[in-house]
Amino acid sequence: MKLIIDETRCKGCNLCTLVCPYSIFQEGTTPNRRGVVVPVLDRPERCTNCRLQKLYGRVLCGVCQMICPDQAIRWVDEKPYEPQKVVIEY
Amino acid sequence: MSGNPGSFQDWFRQDRLPHIYCTGCGNGTVINCTLKAVDSMGWTPEDTVFISGIGCSSRAPGYIVTDSLHTTHGRAIPFATGVKLSRPDLHVVVFTGDGDLAAIGGNHFIHACRRNIDLTVVCMNNYIYGMTGGQGSPCTPLGSVSTTTPYGCSEPPFDLSELAVAAGANHVARWTSYHVRELTRAVQDGLETPGFSLIEAVVQCPTGYGRKNKLREAQAMVDWMRDHAVLIKKWRRMEEEGTPLPPDRFPVGEFVRRSRPAMGVPK
Ligand SMILES: Cc1ncc(C[n+]2csc(CCOP(=O)(O)OP(=O)(O)O)c2C)c(N)n1
Ligand code: SF4
Ligand code: SF4
Ligand code: SF4
Repeated sequence: MKLIIDETRCKGCNLCTLVCPYSIFQEGTTPNRRGVVVPVLDRPERCTNCRLQKLYGRVLCGVCQMICPDQAIRWVDEKPYEPQKVVIEY
Repeated sequence: MSGNPGSFQDWFRQDRLPHIYCTGCGNGTVINCTLKAVDSMGWTPEDTVFISGIGCSSRAPGYIVTDSLHTTHGRAIPFATGVKLSRPDLHVVVFTGDGDLAAIGGNHFIHACRRNIDLTVVCMNNYIYGMTGGQGSPCTPLGSVSTTTPYGCSEPPFDLSELAVAAGANHVARWTSYHVRELTRAVQDGLETPGFSLIEAVVQCPTGYGRKNKLREAQAMVDWMRDHAVLIKKWRRMEEEGTPLPPDRFPVGEFVRRSRPAMGVPK
């Protein structure tokens, strides 16, 4: 699974940067065409949900999606599936 | 509809998004949590109705695929009572704001608690009248600045959750838009409990409240809520021990769950 921010919905409030345990969401620096500074994703493949959603058949963690007031965060299928080497920090 | 990951997103009217709320407004988070709870109940859009009054918070049902009623200011609960008593088989959820629920709708609120009508009321308490430009509400904290309290609010606020407990509601809980998991669980508890349920969700209104109270950024207000919320068990223990309760803190958690006789429960 791949984590994405829907740029047509994100209003740049940065609440997602506050809650991710892996700090995957980082405050952005450049405004997009709509003038919104959308957060940037730092190595999103580290997200628990990206790695394990398929295995467990449900959303894991998911707090970024829940807190996003603008329904801008979701996961999409990656095709073809590419195994990723992931280093997890504790 | 239930069960598939992220399926609460299917309850949104995708063609109506993005919604009109300001950047960082907490209302959107509360809608997420409520829809996730409704979805985990296994309910369908055909048997669920959302009802609201007037205010930013009350615009929520307009973004949801179910049938809904967007009624007059303060009157969401009377309309919801009508729906519930004529069609007890429907699941009725009310979205409201602190102004809608506790100011103009105050009497409807306490009497619905007393009658213990089988509704789940989700109140987005942003301490202010958001939609009309940030006037003080009955929930504006002492000392807070609003357009109608420019020198700081000098009236003590209502505690919505304590009010609902005193008036007789079967289930009452308070969380904030920071506590997304706990809030979702509390809404689900409310949906499961027969009788009246109030879930008070403290939310940030960066535009009306934050801007005037040194919490301009949505993040600042969310940080404030995280740092000032005290679990109710700890709060009650402090009360018992006679420890002075810090005036800028507030308790969160489940205030009550009981089974007083209720109205409108399907047989
Ligand atoms: C009978 C009536 N009186 C006053 C108003 C103006 N009015 C619209 S919204 C509102 C207050 C909304 O505050 P709240 O319920 O806290 O919702 P919020 O916008 O903060 O989410 C008021 C007074 C109205 N629409 N109808
Ligand atoms: S689901 Fe959790 S770990 Fe994954 S990006 Fe969101 S907050 Fe971070
Ligand atoms: S929480 Fe949502 S709207 Fe806010 S910055 Fe993150 S993705 Fe954008
Ligand atoms: S005025 Fe306040 S409550 Fe209304 S949409 Fe803006 S931030 Fe939200």
